Amino acid sequence: LITCNFSSAPFSEILNGVIKSVKKDGEWKVLIVDHMSMRILSSCCKMSDILAEGVTIVEDINKCREPISSLEAIYLISPMEKSVKALINDFKDTVFTYKAAHIFFTDACSDSLFAEIGRSRVAKVIKTLKEINVAFLPYESQVFSLDNPSSFKSFYGSRPCESKDRMIENMAEQIATLCDTLKEFPAVRYRKGPEDNFKLAKEVSSRLMAHKADNPSMGEGADKARSQLLIVDRGFDPISPVLHELTFQAMAYDLLDIKQDIYTYQTTGVGNSKQREVLLDEDDELWIQLRHQHIADVTKKVTELLRSFCESKRMCTDNANIKDLAQMLKKMPQYQKELTMYSTHLHLAEACMKTFKATVDKICEVEQDLAMGTNADGEPIKDPMKSIVPVLLNNDIGPFEKIRIILLFIFHKKKGIGEENLTKLIEHANIKNHSTIITNLQNLGCNIIAGGRNTGNTLPVRKERTESTYQLSRWTPVIKDIMEDAIEDKLDTKQWPFFGDRAQINTTQTTVNSARFGHWHKNKSPTEYRSGPRLIIFVIGGVSHSEMRSAYEVTRSTDGKWEVLIGSSHILTPNGFLNDLKSLDQESESAS
Amino acid sequence: MRDRLGDLQVFISESPEEARPSEENQNPENAEPPELFMFDGEDEMDRIYKEAQLMQKEMLMLKLDVKRLGKQNARFLTSVRRISSIKRDSNALGRDIKARGEAIYARLEKLGKQSRELEEEHGATSAVARMARSQCVYLTKAFHEAMCEYNTAEMLQRENCKTRIQRQAEIMGKEVSREQIEEMIETGKCSLFSDNLLLEGRSARSALTEIENRHKELLELEGRIRDIHELFFQMALLVEEQGCKLDNIEANVGQTRDYMAEASAQIKKAVRYKKNNPCKKLLCCCFPCCR
Repeated sequence: LITCNFSSAPFSEILNGVIKSVKKDGEWKVLIVDHMSMRILSSCCKMSDILAEGVTIVEDINKCREPISSLEAIYLISPMEKSVKALINDFKDTVFTYKAAHIFFTDACSDSLFAEIGRSRVAKVIKTLKEINVAFLPYESQVFSLDNPSSFKSFYGSRPCESKDRMIENMAEQIATLCDTLKEFPAVRYRKGPEDNFKLAKEVSSRLMAHKADNPSMGEGADKARSQLLIVDRGFDPISPVLHELTFQAMAYDLLDIKQDIYTYQTTGVGNSKQREVLLDEDDELWIQLRHQHIADVTKKVTELLRSFCESKRMCTDNANIKDLAQMLKKMPQYQKELTMYSTHLHLAEACMKTFKATVDKICEVEQDLAMGTNADGEPIKDPMKSIVPVLLNNDIGPFEKIRIILLFIFHKKKGIGEENLTKLIEHANIKNHSTIITNLQNLGCNIIAGGRNTGNTLPVRKERTESTYQLSRWTPVIKDIMEDAIEDKLDTKQWPFFGDRAQINTTQTTVNSARFGHWHKNKSPTEYRSGPRLIIFVIGGVSHSEMRSAYEVTRSTDGKWEVLIGSSHILTPNGFLNDLKSLDQESESAS
Repeated sequence: MRDRLGDLQVFISESPEEARPSEENQNPENAEPPELFMFDGEDEMDRIYKEAQLMQKEMLMLKLDVKRLGKQNARFLTSVRRISSIKRDSNALGRDIKARGEAIYARLEKLGKQSRELEEEHGATSAVARMARSQCVYLTKAFHEAMCEYNTAEMLQRENCKTRIQRQAEIMGKEVSREQIEEMIETGKCSLFSDNLLLEGRSARSALTEIENRHKELLELEGRIRDIHELFFQMALLVEEQGCKLDNIEANVGQTRDYMAEASAQIKKAVRYKKNNPCKKLLCCCFPCCR
């Protein structure tokens, strides 16, 4: 019985399977990557990790590179024409750029490209040639990305996209490598309705079969037969990506300018006052603890933790506020890592609250009422127009915030609104040059204009939830309902059909070994084998932070029996989503 | 993971002559293995690699010292005999760790300087400059880890001593809070038991001796940590300066630029291997490169 050590699967594949596998003591190597593989590598490893395994420099295959012909090269690349041509080019002239080549493809290489390699001079110096089957980004321990934000336009653009079928094939292959890495062979389900859901489900199924043929251990294990892969489209729940969330990660990425997961702030440290950049990832244990918590709890928690930390280290400070941290750092520099962590999150929470208090707090109550259809006391809202007009007329509130309110208003209406009314709202809000954001949502199948092309499409009915929540956080992403139903085997097979003949067998639950999950993309201490079933959700068109959070919440609620993974072509922020929507009706720029 | 080397070899052997990797027939010179060029700064890089290797050895020694210290500390807690000799060893180890740490730090600084010089000489995006910078990041991280291990070891000892004191105090029929012990450390005085205590019986007296010894050990430990404070401070400065981007692969790759060999100033040394020369002599020629 082969089980997959989930704690470090992609990290292990790359660091051990690729870099360490060709390591030779005393010999350094050059590592060459293309864009996709660089993103994958960067989300798994640091420079110091690969230096420890004999890589001395990382190069971009698409750049003109300095010949280093005394060293062998590791090519970690996607099997696409551009990368393969660049590889062949390195060994075309009299002077070979490197001494030898160890080639690792992220996924299956086509026959034609394979033949091109075989025919070229590089074939003479190839020492390794493997397909590693890791073509996705392990963004978090339960979140993955295919790193393909431009696919949004391909799926939902107004003009037909010629390369869409090809793109669906590629995405299917990427998803299959995810399952391969996790040794899963899930039953594929899709939300009935949009044709693309079906198409993707079909391609994924076919790729899964191909991978299973090469890797029979996929899906082995009694519990694994219950694993499912669900394909859902963004239009299914357009509310979650536009709603203001008040949990730490969602709020920070919505309100602050965080690029590439790096938060930048001003502070004094051990040295003089300067800009500090901090990576918000799972190496930061405090981030893992706080990221899904409500902002009101975060500041309290961090302050509490910092206080007890200071007490335990005998750092006398009455108010463990941010400025004192610099003093503490000077007094006890050996705790730089911990103190920096506390400082970062205090700053981050403070920044969120500052932005929130400026404008967002006025909006949140209205948003929650619209999204839920009821006010905080549970009574149905009576005159939503009355509550949104002041927001739309308020000049202190930005255009994107206003659009979000308008969208929530429209979704609340369930049957869309009349074009005249929409025009009026747009005028009130003074957002005419962004109006396509609203109308383009129709491309996702959303009912925007009453009597328009999506007439009859309705948003899903949500579960009644009785847990007490903060007043401004009553909304639960719809995907959470789906996750729970899928796990309890209650998901309607008419609305969520299985592809092919992998209909779900309601097996009796066997005992599951471990409830602990390691960090699947970092080389942390090994955890027990994960032999329980997994639910993998793929959202076409982007996944929001609140939906990511749901994956963790649902996993916890099963006490570790199931593990829920969620992912998409890219991670959404509300502004990112709106920007994606804005240009859907325009001419496509030529893809690189 | 799918190995396709076999497939490649099959492909090559099965493909017709013309389609095979072309043995260059135009230029007879190319029947030999291709020339190897030394990249700019390869010499300097070799020196840096050697230095890095030595530094890693030193760090290994430092880590071993830290482990030894941990063992010594543990022994101190369990064996009452020969306390004075053990104490010397802990402090001696502490001094050695400090000395080694300071030496490694000095080398790190020197390496950093070399790296900056290489940047100036060859350009920040040159291969050698990036290699050198990566080595700096890597070694800084390793050193930081080693020093943190030291701190952890001492802190563990600290806690163990405090626990020991509490237990011994119990034997004497007195309850001591950890707060009080911390005060003892800060004031340097073991005044807790000096007054209104009836030291009756041998067990109480030996417990008091134990406590006094632990107290002394704690004071010495504090001394060791104070001594090495400066080094920790410098490490923290260094780590803070480096930030998080230097260790980030995406940021590193983003820094690369198209390579353009400069025809004027740089002279490439060509190293040509004679195929059948059993001595494999290296001929070093200098000629101006032209592109």
